[in-house]
Amino acid sequence: MDKEVDRISNLPAHVLDQILSILPIRDAVRTSNLSRKWRYNWSHIPHLVFDYRVFSITSKDETVIKNKLVNIIDHVLLLHNGPVYKFKLSHSKILGCSDIDRWILHLSRGSTEEFILLIWRGQRYKLPSCLFSFGNLIHLKLFNCLLKPPLAFKGFRNLKNLDIQYVTLAQEVFENLISSCPLLERLTLINFDGFTHLKINAPNLQLFDVGGVFDDVSFENNSLLTLVSIGLYKNVKNDWNMSRGSSSKLLSFFVNLPHIRRLEIQSYFIKYLAIGKIPSNLPKPCMDLNYISIRMNFNDFEENSVAFCLLKSCPNLQEIEMLGRLEEQAVVGPLTSFWGDDHWKCLFGQLRLVKIADISGTRSELDFMKFLLSNSPVLEQMTVKPASNEGGLELVKELLRFRRASIQAEVIYMGP
Amino acid sequence: MMEDLGDLDSSPYCEPRRRLLDIFCLMSEVDMAVIQPEMMKSYIWIQTTDGAIQQVEQEVAMFCPMICQEVIHKGMGSSKNCAVSLPQRVSPAMFSLILDYCRFHQVPGRSNKERKSFDEKFVRMDTKRLCELTSAADSLQLKPLVDLTSRSLARIIEGKTPEEIREIFHLPDDLTEEEKLEPLKNTTDDPRIRLLNRLYAKKRKELKEREKLKDVEAEEEHVDDRSVDDLLSFINGGDGGMLKPYWKQEIFFSDSKAIKTSKNKKKHRKRKDLQKCAPSNEAIETHKKESNTVSSLCHNVGVDQKLKSSLSETLELQDVADEVFAPRVEFDDVDIDDEIDPALKEEIDREVEDFARILNSDWPERMQELLSLGQERRPTHLSVNGNGALKGHGSMPSFPLNIDHLSQLRIVFSLTPELDEIEEIFIHGRYSSAQNAIFVACNFFKLCDCGHRPESTECQPRRRAG
Repeated sequence: MDKEVDRISNLPAHVLDQILSILPIRDAVRTSNLSRKWRYNWSHIPHLVFDYRVFSITSKDETVIKNKLVNIIDHVLLLHNGPVYKFKLSHSKILGCSDIDRWILHLSRGSTEEFILLIWRGQRYKLPSCLFSFGNLIHLKLFNCLLKPPLAFKGFRNLKNLDIQYVTLAQEVFENLISSCPLLERLTLINFDGFTHLKINAPNLQLFDVGGVFDDVSFENNSLLTLVSIGLYKNVKNDWNMSRGSSSKLLSFFVNLPHIRRLEIQSYFIKYLAIGKIPSNLPKPCMDLNYISIRMNFNDFEENSVAFCLLKSCPNLQEIEMLGRLEEQAVVGPLTSFWGDDHWKCLFGQLRLVKIADISGTRSELDFMKFLLSNSPVLEQMTVKPASNEGGLELVKELLRFRRASIQAEVIYMGP
Repeated sequence: MMEDLGDLDSSPYCEPRRRLLDIFCLMSEVDMAVIQPEMMKSYIWIQTTDGAIQQVEQEVAMFCPMICQEVIHKGMGSSKNCAVSLPQRVSPAMFSLILDYCRFHQVPGRSNKERKSFDEKFVRMDTKRLCELTSAADSLQLKPLVDLTSRSLARIIEGKTPEEIREIFHLPDDLTEEEKLEPLKNTTDDPRIRLLNRLYAKKRKELKEREKLKDVEAEEEHVDDRSVDDLLSFINGGDGGMLKPYWKQEIFFSDSKAIKTSKNKKKHRKRKDLQKCAPSNEAIETHKKESNTVSSLCHNVGVDQKLKSSLSETLELQDVADEVFAPRVEFDDVDIDDEIDPALKEEIDREVEDFARILNSDWPERMQELLSLGQERRPTHLSVNGNGALKGHGSMPSFPLNIDHLSQLRIVFSLTPELDEIEEIFIHGRYSSAQNAIFVACNFFKLCDCGHRPESTECQPRRRAG
């Protein structure tokens, strides 16, 4: 007869911590009611996550919900006994308020390594200065916050991962923040205001993911940067301020990215790259670049030039994604297209996968696809996904005709 | 109704970011995989806890960091004599399971999907084995397997009640009753606890405010120097006093420190104050039936509203008295509707009569009631001394008194210097209504039912069973 034995309570403490950390905070705290041994097991969990799973919302009254949430977090923080390595607060009903100041102050006395604060609604929440004294911080993620560090702020010396979205900070604050975090490896910066020059001086930076409105982006000292995704959310084509007296943005962008492996050019960023003189080739080819994704307007001459320059300078491309810019497709393109010239020859020796999307079947787009197909000897697959069904049949007819350099290339037409 | 708003991280507009980060992680993994050294096919000798010695393929066994360390750093496992001996927590059955796991995962060519699918099937076992497996994997330092089993155990625990969890894992139910009730957390769904805590917090806040205002108003005190007889004339006038509602008697017996302030505002406020002082007789009745603190409290509140309006009516009969009476303390502003329709008034008057009757009923019976009420909930530490008076001790607060109750108490005991002490007792005591609390207080300080000191001759003597 098998005697019923309690096997779980005797698992090692770190394993129990791990199990309790995986549970939503509510279930974790409730284990204190299980038995004597379990009474305070939960109070050592290193991760505190307060999100929608904290309690089920049964009231429509926002104040009630918010007060309940504040009450719960106060209780948990007070009863918690041990270091808090990860703290995450992301609840739709929490607005920036003094309660959060209080919690951050409490955490600043400990050794928090990961701090995530997502303020879903309301004004930018001004972070208290005690946040900037989190000496052990490795991962910081903020949403809808205002950063104004105290003058004595010397940076987060252990910070590796900075993810700030919908934030406001001054230009000097931003530059200081980046340059004073020597271990910074990943930077995500989406929808920011208060600064317009992205001067990135981070020697250990490997991932750079930016989307917003800016005037200028420059890298210094970034030999490790391998993943870059940039989106410029403002159409700067006719922005004379930016292009006045400007040297080639394309050249200055790539001069400091020698080892880039993956590049995504999103929104209107290609227009930024088109400012200034557009070379036919980059001075140094990007030997490590194996993936590129570009959103562009195939009818725009400058953008096509930039794309062509890039494609020519990346001999080891394995995967290409080209996306049409939907809002500019109404413009009727020129009759002779950029890519139609049969002299454009370029060897894509490694190219295996191509994705084309958001196109409408204009001459330029078709010529581009033809150009790719005839210059990719090892191509395995090309998928084409138009923006709408209009003219779909014409598009398919044309695709059918194109010569393919690769005998195993599949061209797959996908419905919109 | 669970409003699952999801995590902002996974909202559609965030997707491209997510993908990039995922790719970043993947890239790092791929880099790591390349570094693994090549090994020749050979075997490692391992001794399980039952003494048996077996050979395991090297690449499979070395997937476990602990075995890896033994082989590399200590040179064990090369022959039968120096077999690697497994830690205590790894039973032979568990070891064979772990070997299956390692055998599958150490093959580099598998896709993530394949691995995930294998894992899902792998952890389908009863909880007993799952716990054992976790323990074994941990002692072999096989972190991926520990992560996998921890996640499964967490999934089992998630969303279940404590009873269910105890059942599944055979946990002893060894928490004492007190420990179970201790407010360790407010994350349960128990609405009663939430309500109690909320009211308690509100009560505390109100007390604080009153304290502040008490200081302020002390400056405004004027001395009312009408003679005591004048004051009392209202009591002895009208009906014989026999059935006069309790609070009617007390109002006019304010102390010499009555405040005289501007009529209009204060009048309304006084009315409000007095309205709030109405104890609820219905609450007492219901409380005899059930000991559910919350329902009685709610009931209190509900009934109070009705009686509030009744008081305004009765007060109109004693207009002059308003100027005499003035509590020392502010109360918080509550919207009081001063107009009541005649039908409601009838009912309220009836309630008032009922209540007066109860007040003047048999004392020993009331004592019994108090005692029985105290025992139904947590021990109130109420003891009865020889004189028949109840002596209250301070104990853990669990029942928040309504602001009205305490304001009434202040009126009643406005003569007594022990007011703060009384308040202390009542806050820490457990009384279903102010009425009970007042009974206790009266006896504690050997006051008569009206709140007069024993030495005083002004009031009617305490009624006894007759």
